[in-house]
Amino acid sequence: MSDILLKIEGLRASVEDKEILKGVDLTIRKGEIHAVMGPNGAGKSTLSAVLAGKPQFTVTAGSVEFMGQDLLAMSPEERAWAGIFLSFQYPIEIPGVTITNFMKTAVNSHRAGKGLEPLKAGDFLKLMREKMAFVQMKPEFAKREVNVGFSGGEKKRNEIFQMAMLDPTLAILDETDSGLDVDALRIVANGVNALHTPEKAAIVITHYQRLLDYIVPDVVHVLKDGKIVKTAGKELVAEIEEKGYDNL
Amino acid sequence: MTEVIIVSDGLLERKIDVQAGQRTDLVLLVYPGVSCEVKMDVRLLGEGAEANLYGVYVCGGSEKVRISVEMHHDVHHCNSRQLFKGIAGGTSKVDFYGKIIVAQDAQKTEAYQENHNLLLSDEAKVDTKPQLEIYADDVKCSHGATIGSLNEEEQFYMRSRGITLEDAKVLQMISFIAPVLENIQDESERELVSTRFEDAIRKLSK
Repeated sequence: MSDILLKIEGLRASVEDKEILKGVDLTIRKGEIHAVMGPNGAGKSTLSAVLAGKPQFTVTAGSVEFMGQDLLAMSPEERAWAGIFLSFQYPIEIPGVTITNFMKTAVNSHRAGKGLEPLKAGDFLKLMREKMAFVQMKPEFAKREVNVGFSGGEKKRNEIFQMAMLDPTLAILDETDSGLDVDALRIVANGVNALHTPEKAAIVITHYQRLLDYIVPDVVHVLKDGKIVKTAGKELVAEIEEKGYDNL
Repeated sequence: MTEVIIVSDGLLERKIDVQAGQRTDLVLLVYPGVSCEVKMDVRLLGEGAEANLYGVYVCGGSEKVRISVEMHHDVHHCNSRQLFKGIAGGTSKVDFYGKIIVAQDAQKTEAYQENHNLLLSDEAKVDTKPQLEIYADDVKCSHGATIGSLNEEEQFYMRSRGITLEDAKVLQMISFIAPVLENIQDESERELVSTRFEDAIRKLSK
């Protein structure tokens, strides 16, 4: 069995006829944490959205294989069942739907996708409590409507809580540091680190070095104008911080 | 106690007089498959009278639903609130007509009306006409009407968590009508109604 989890080759994608990704190649192996850095508008968020299967984006060329499966042929929910999780830069508010109801539906959909029975109510609530405590979310959030009226930090903690509940093989963190104070950043980063195992991988998308002080990447890529222009080890982070993206 | 009316095919006409210090609470339920014309005529006749009207309609086929409400504030210090929410799919046609009439002597009136609609198909049609006729000058009145479709950003967020598109739509629709159903006070009745709408909505989204 190969240790490659994700293999992206020549990926091109556009939104409303505007090409954003212009040929991305990226290979991620088990146990690795990859950082994708780049200036605003480079296509970082597009890459994460395309991997998660956002319908508004059209893939025009290239291929993406996830654990040997053709990812691009799968619906967003099938990708989630296969083990992909996207932590949103701007988590969506869903008025009227409580976190409990939302997560119960999500967890049981995953189970149905794997041919398993729904989780017993007691077991589900126990799991919820455990994972909420893990990201230091207060228990009363279970009854709150998804992300409605949450602060920036609460939204991001809710993302990592959901990640803990769904236990993905590949986590994609899209600008998880944006809008976070240092305490929230630490909680979120500790959560991500604690969930990481040698069998899993993560893509950390960020503009700044800050998050990468807490989640230390094995490989760092620079995405510029829809292409990966440089790949190196974690020392590249300091180089970017010093020289900026323009001088790479 | 809230009166719950399950509307059946055909005409439903109700005239309600609310006397001083009295209160009327009414929830109208229109399930899929029902074509109806509902005419409500409410008069607040004495000081401190209060009327709360709520309604849900869910149409997935070729239903025609017509709801008209006239809320008359005849005297001072009366309150009324209306919240109607509906879902129109298939080739259904919904007409909502709501009018609040505040008489010259009806000072210190508080009257609110909202009608919100979800359109599920291009062939379905919703027409909503909220109206205010106010002859008094010291009142608080508002009305609002919206017609929208299911939010795709919410859908993608849910699907990225493994929730199927079908389940995502069901969740969205149930949460859309929930603020109306919350007004059914009897818990077992409320659960029964919620379950019936959930089953109906699940069939619609297939």
